[in-house]
Amino acid sequence: MDLALNEHQQMLQQSVRSFMQRRASKGTIVALQKSETGFQLDTWSTIAELGWLGLLIPEEYGGSGASLTDAAVLYEEFGRGPLAGPFFSSGVLAAITVLEAGTDEQRRRILPEIASGRHIFTVAITEPARSWGPQGVALALERRGDRYLLNGAKLFVSDAIAATHLIVAVRSGSAPEAISLVIVDKQAKGVAARNLPGFMGWQAEVKFDNVEVPASAMLGGRENEGWSSLMRAMERALPVLCAYQVGSCQAVFEMSVQYSQTREQFGVPIGRFQRVQDHIVRLVNHLDAARWTTYEALWKLDSGRPASASVHLAKVVTAEAHMEACNAAHEVHAGIGSSHEYGLTPHTQLSRTLFHYLGEPKWHKRQMADALAW
Amino acid sequence: MVIAKMDFEVTYTEEQQRFRDEVRAWFEANVPPGITRTPSSPEESYANYQQRRDLGRKLGAKGWLFPMAPKEYGGGSLDVDHTIILEEEADRFDLSLPPFYDTGGTLGAPTILVWGTEEQKKTFLPPIHRGEVRVWQLLSEPSAGSDLAGVKMRAIRDGDEYVLNGQKIFIGSANGTDWMWTIAVTDPSGERHKNVSWFMIDASLPGITVQPMDLLGSGEGGGESGHKNTIFFEDVRVPASCLVGGENNGWKVASTHLELEHGGGGRIGRNRLWERLLSCCRETRRDGKPLTEDQDVRDTLADIYIKGEVTRLFGLRNFWLTYARRPISYEGPQLSLYRKLAGLWMTGAILETVGPAALTTDPIWGSDDGFLENQQRNGIVAMHPGGTADIQKVSMARRIGIGRSTREAAGKVV
Repeated sequence: MDLALNEHQQMLQQSVRSFMQRRASKGTIVALQKSETGFQLDTWSTIAELGWLGLLIPEEYGGSGASLTDAAVLYEEFGRGPLAGPFFSSGVLAAITVLEAGTDEQRRRILPEIASGRHIFTVAITEPARSWGPQGVALALERRGDRYLLNGAKLFVSDAIAATHLIVAVRSGSAPEAISLVIVDKQAKGVAARNLPGFMGWQAEVKFDNVEVPASAMLGGRENEGWSSLMRAMERALPVLCAYQVGSCQAVFEMSVQYSQTREQFGVPIGRFQRVQDHIVRLVNHLDAARWTTYEALWKLDSGRPASASVHLAKVVTAEAHMEACNAAHEVHAGIGSSHEYGLTPHTQLSRTLFHYLGEPKWHKRQMADALAW
Repeated sequence: MVIAKMDFEVTYTEEQQRFRDEVRAWFEANVPPGITRTPSSPEESYANYQQRRDLGRKLGAKGWLFPMAPKEYGGGSLDVDHTIILEEEADRFDLSLPPFYDTGGTLGAPTILVWGTEEQKKTFLPPIHRGEVRVWQLLSEPSAGSDLAGVKMRAIRDGDEYVLNGQKIFIGSANGTDWMWTIAVTDPSGERHKNVSWFMIDASLPGITVQPMDLLGSGEGGGESGHKNTIFFEDVRVPASCLVGGENNGWKVASTHLELEHGGGGRIGRNRLWERLLSCCRETRRDGKPLTEDQDVRDTLADIYIKGEVTRLFGLRNFWLTYARRPISYEGPQLSLYRKLAGLWMTGAILETVGPAALTTDPIWGSDDGFLENQQRNGIVAMHPGGTADIQKVSMARRIGIGRSTREAAGKVV
């Protein structure tokens, strides 16, 4: 038993940390909050050059074939920013989806583009007035000879403005899981993406108006296999997302400890007050619950153990932990915490944005129970 | 270069597998049948206790009762992996090591190992580690609970002895003890934290009276559950050689066992309550179907399971931190706090799920062996032994570095 990161992971952690200090300082992150995409192009290129976009992509497809735990180390550091942008959407979720669902030809064509950062992919699943799950995918794939036609909309699509391509979950039959995944070029005629305003980050409505999709865009080349591929991809991608949120919780914890040590009221640092300590204790309990459920799930995946229940559990614990950690941090900081300039609010907004992302906690709880065969 | 991977599991070598086979065969040959049945009378409790002590002595003779304690002091000098194997094999029989209530080997002996003289180690440790004596800890007093440094029991030096007078409360279990360890005031005019000393005491000394208490629960499960005592000291003369760690140094000495008791040592093991609860919900039918087929029940069970998993992971992490000799800060009291809060919350969740059957020990209408009724009581009572939930929070805050002007270090446990 050894719960420490290995030497290689510690080195990766150090280099990401120093990269973040140089290129994604608090000031930069705060300034980007109101931007269209949340990131700067030169940051994107540097991260691609460093090989971090292709971390999970096998070497034969232009990546470095690292373990999920390695990727988690990277994303935990990103989460401390929190660094926004389509890093997870493209480099993790889309990359793994193409790996799981694509034909070898598609992998050879698409994955090197993702790894190099030339193309940016995101996965579009949820729809207006629909719940999470296969039953929630209603956008129909109409066959038109050797091509398909799409008419409808996807909602809450992450990073759709930044993306060059969308992997769209579509209904291709009447059976509950008759779902396919098709790749849509965002430049294609009839595709329109619009960021949703409000207390969420870079989530878009994407409309499809008579969009033509060539048959070669069907991932795997066969219809109705999309949902199971997507679930396999999610099982591997979710713990990396969780690690990103763990990093955010960690940053929020450190921010709160530091504030409670320096902010004085009634002549003493507010950390001396047990009411304030209660918030910090609550925060660190959530942080550590998220951290260890996440890393255990990663270990199971990396070591080839059955991991399904652990992944669902990590997602439940982490979604709730992230939200609660931010709530506790706002209690510690009071007024100043709500000032966008201070740097807490990007974390808070992220915790809300990711709460339902890729399935709400209750859905994952039920999947966990099923996976444990109760 | 082989790069080690993060690993949440112990991987066993062939030698260790053979050790497991040996241990398993030994347990099968030596554990008396029915030893884990809950006793229903004081006579049965005593007989069961004798069986458990007997098993303890047999384990002790092999160095398996406290496997990690040094061989020269009666332990097994075994490494963590072998110890885990022993604990897992004991666990197959629903037993733990030691198989009876004892805070001598678990908390007292590690304290003596850190603070005792060579002579004290030779005198006190072998009988504990070999299972020849059972030892209780005596800390709380009627007026000193959370404020443990405020103990009033006095131990005044008189020649080669200390004379003890005072009262300790919430102590031990049923069926008596051989030795006791405690802290008492040795310098009544001394400064707080610098006025107490730590003693190991023979429980048969004249002047010691043990009086059972009538409590909602003891906060622990096991064969002697539900039983605690008040202990009176009246002019008890204890040899000066029983003072461990130097006169008036008792608060520092106590930091070792307090750290261990607050969860610093961590824990690995399965969650027996969860396993029993799940099978209970599978077997219990309501309105014609098993509880596990009811969606509300499944959702609540998921919440219960998740809290159990987080508790397990905190225990595993602390175990690793301790035995890999990694820096440890707030993690001990965090485990303790989380376990306490989860236990109390679970009383509500279980009551809601199972209904009033969780509250009865009735052999027909209650849960198997009344295990749920036991949880309903002890989920409340367990909030307090070894430091209340609130004290764990205070401790965490100090270790995190916000409670005081200087950050507090964790107690020394190895």
